[in-house]
Amino acid sequence: MKEKYINSYKFLLFFSLLTLAALTHSCSKTPIREHKVDPPDTTHITSYANGIFVVNEGNYNWGNASVTFIDNKSNALIQDIFKKSNDRSLGDVAESMKIADNLGYLVVNNSNRIEVVSLSDFKSVTTITGLNSPRYLEIVDSTKAYVTNLQKDISIIDLHTNTVSGTIKTNGWTENLIKYDKYMLVTSIGTFSDPSSKRRAQIFVIDTQLDAIVDSIQTGKEPIGIVIDKKQKVWVLCSGGYDNYEAPSLIRINPELRLVEKIFTFSNPAEVPSRLCINPTADTLYFLKNGVCQMPVAAAVLPVQPMIASEGRLLYGLAVHPATGHIYVSDAKDYVQNGTVYQYNTSGSLLKQYTAGRIPGSFCFTRNSSK
Amino acid sequence: MTRTTKYLSLFSMILLAAILPWRNYAENPADTLKLKEFEVKSKYLYDNNCFKRVKIDSAILINHLNTDLSGILAQYTTIFIKSYGIGNLATPSFRGTTAQHTQVEWNGISLNSPMLGQVDLSQIPVSQFDGLEILYGAAGITRTSGAFGGVINLVTNPNWNNILNVLAMQSFGSFNTFTSNLNAAAGTGSFQSHTKFNYSVAANDFPYYNDLLKTTVRQQNSSYRLYGMSEELFWKLKDKHLFSIKFRFNHNDQNLPPTASNYDTHHQEKQKTQDLFAVIDYKYVEKKFSLLVRSAFADQKMNYSLDSSINDSHQYYQWINKIKFTYTGIRNFSIRPGIDFTCDQVNSDSYNGVKKRNTTSFCSEFIYDIGKKVKASLVIREDMIDSKFLPLVPALGVEYVPWKTIDLAFTMNMARNYRYPTLNDLYWTGSGNADLKPETNYAVEGGVNYKYTSGNRKFSVGASLAAYYSWIYQMITWSQVNGNAYLWKPENIDEIKARGIETGLNFSIEFLHFVIGNTSNYSFCRSTYEKASSAYDQKIGKQQIYIPVHTFNNTLTVERWKFYLNYNICYVSDRYTAKDNLTVMPGYSISNIIFGRNIALKKIVLSLQSQINNLFNLDYQSLVDRPMPGINYGITVKLALPGIQR
Repeated sequence: MKEKYINSYKFLLFFSLLTLAALTHSCSKTPIREHKVDPPDTTHITSYANGIFVVNEGNYNWGNASVTFIDNKSNALIQDIFKKSNDRSLGDVAESMKIADNLGYLVVNNSNRIEVVSLSDFKSVTTITGLNSPRYLEIVDSTKAYVTNLQKDISIIDLHTNTVSGTIKTNGWTENLIKYDKYMLVTSIGTFSDPSSKRRAQIFVIDTQLDAIVDSIQTGKEPIGIVIDKKQKVWVLCSGGYDNYEAPSLIRINPELRLVEKIFTFSNPAEVPSRLCINPTADTLYFLKNGVCQMPVAAAVLPVQPMIASEGRLLYGLAVHPATGHIYVSDAKDYVQNGTVYQYNTSGSLLKQYTAGRIPGSFCFTRNSSK
Repeated sequence: MTRTTKYLSLFSMILLAAILPWRNYAENPADTLKLKEFEVKSKYLYDNNCFKRVKIDSAILINHLNTDLSGILAQYTTIFIKSYGIGNLATPSFRGTTAQHTQVEWNGISLNSPMLGQVDLSQIPVSQFDGLEILYGAAGITRTSGAFGGVINLVTNPNWNNILNVLAMQSFGSFNTFTSNLNAAAGTGSFQSHTKFNYSVAANDFPYYNDLLKTTVRQQNSSYRLYGMSEELFWKLKDKHLFSIKFRFNHNDQNLPPTASNYDTHHQEKQKTQDLFAVIDYKYVEKKFSLLVRSAFADQKMNYSLDSSINDSHQYYQWINKIKFTYTGIRNFSIRPGIDFTCDQVNSDSYNGVKKRNTTSFCSEFIYDIGKKVKASLVIREDMIDSKFLPLVPALGVEYVPWKTIDLAFTMNMARNYRYPTLNDLYWTGSGNADLKPETNYAVEGGVNYKYTSGNRKFSVGASLAAYYSWIYQMITWSQVNGNAYLWKPENIDEIKARGIETGLNFSIEFLHFVIGNTSNYSFCRSTYEKASSAYDQKIGKQQIYIPVHTFNNTLTVERWKFYLNYNICYVSDRYTAKDNLTVMPGYSISNIIFGRNIALKKIVLSLQSQINNLFNLDYQSLVDRPMPGINYGITVKLALPGIQR
């Protein structure tokens, strides 16, 4: 019997020593995290002040948003510059980027933050929090900017402190915005959780001096894009609703009178147009629908055929270079691999193509970018 | 020597205790209770019948009563578990397929939601069933169509010799995890009642290193509370009639944590699930035939809320009926025709109105012994959904047993299978796609199994090898709608080719009063995309995302002096996170250890057990941006009235 107990202690000792060995062995392994298969990009760039930023959304809840930089001087293409400069990922679903002074504002929707970076080295200057699922940022003046949110309100950003200095209550999803005179015109989709039938689609007219909504203009369901043409007419692209509630439409608004002047209705509700843009001379509209469509602001009808066919690609992001008028369009492929950015000239001839990150959705051009 | 040994062991235990923070106990403490010393029986039972079937019996499950189904499958099978974190969504992947290609059954009743088509394994406590039966690939066609990967059946069985058996268990784990179980079985030689209660609650606020914040933080909004009960009544009449009524209820309040990139101390995301399953069976057994009649009812309510923006409720009801007849009256031949009728009804905030679906399935198995060494099995299934017939689902298998005295069998089978879209695929508001076609699967498989047990039963060994090749056409994939990041839609997009090898080796040996057992499983799986979405798509020939090429697990058990030690290691290789295979989650291995002792007190057996999970404190993620806990601990106390047997 006694022998049995001695053996028990032996066994206990054996186990305890094994566990101790295991514990002392711990804490030394490399963390298991997602990484790129290819070796890290070692391209060296001294400044990010002259080029094009491709904002790659990344997959929802995967935290793999990134920024690809196309350098004008060296023609270099650099992937994931935020991570490179800051040794951390950008976050989850990077929606858009805007430049104010020499700072870049990266709106990271699902991480609910705006990363403020210096354009010289893309190092993080600060992180703006206290938002409500931010979408797009627009500069009001040198002191402040507005940020649209998926929920509740529009955030007012103090550009000196880079903090949220106030809010403008909206009770719903606000999307794109553009400055007109002393007003900010903001597309409002309605309550995020409501079906299209219950959502109230409109353009909010915000007096930027009062930071208050002073008027609204009713639009088609889900107004997602807004631009201003050379005659100071406002164009709004409406998708018709995520549930194909109504036919998509392109509407022209007189911002002075705050009246809808013209409605172009797309014939097929299932073919949803997106990403409304305008060229540098503000006389030609571009949007995605089965390819890149081009439409002069003076046209009487919607374009029948796209000027750049999608050719099986999943065209996702679109931008027109503010200086050259070149068209930048991205292919998100099947959303679960690296996308590609295509650069076309104004007549739709392919000039170049660039590999980007996961789901390239929007573009940001530096002021002196003239590529 | 004895004194030195005592002091050394005492010292090392104290040292160990000092290292382990007292607040932390195990996440999912497993426990062991062996009513008889050295009660190690065959842990893996192979019953191929031309197809691959594996059983995991209660001898393994008894060690893990406090874990959930995902833990058992990850540790003892080659099924890959995709886990969103402890206590969070865990789904199985068999042979390079998705969670929707696996059917999980409880006593023959599907637990897969007709809405989502899959099961969350983290919500199924091991304490609620007595054994596991895993049907790989085409073997699943005897149960259902659409389970291209396979079927996992959770079984409860009566012990007709039992008079009374009571078990009470309490465990304490790290991150304020508390689990309680009470099981009672009572009855006579013709009537048995099993009653089981389980209750688990956890704060689950484990610390982890957040790469975005560059600091260690605690997991937010990750607590859960899960409770349930089951009652099973079995009644046997003259060994010819068997009636059973089984009832299972579960309630789960689950807070869903934010991803690491979206770390937010105010994050509010919740899921509440409540489900009820009831099944009544009648089995009539004659010498040459038997008849099974079954009727079951399922009701599941689910509520999901995200901050104040989403608050959706979903409820489904299922009425499941089955008649199966087995006839063995013809020499060397048996036939098992049957009919299943299932009625699904869903009332969801995400559907426009109530949706219903009636599925009638005609199935028959034909088994023919060609001589004494060869057996052939043909399974034919024909599904009718509402009034529309799906193409025929056939499976043909052959088994060859070359020697009478050696337990060695070779099997080969081939099958065609279909999976009909789920109700979410068809009806989700704004996304549902009524034009979806069923997915199609063609598969071939070959295998060999060997078993040996020594005459004195002190040594046993089992080995298995299976190789498969399978194609999935028109696979339904949800992806973002062009131009609308918030809208996803299912489409028959992908084509998948999966091929691989599965091996298993287990042995058990008794010597010098030690009982040593070891089980190992290894799987090699290449599951690749075979169809591109455009000429620019880079995914053809690339490994499917989140499907590891290699998985391996090994469990070593040692028993002596009423102590028991269980050391488990699970390895998964790299998993790609991009369809072009340009980003990857590195492979990892996790070790877990259980150590305990049974103490026989007069009429009660007391078991004390400690457990360490993630022994090497690996900082890992199984899915991108979903943190997992580091090293964590558990203590379990169990009291059992040793079974009074007739």
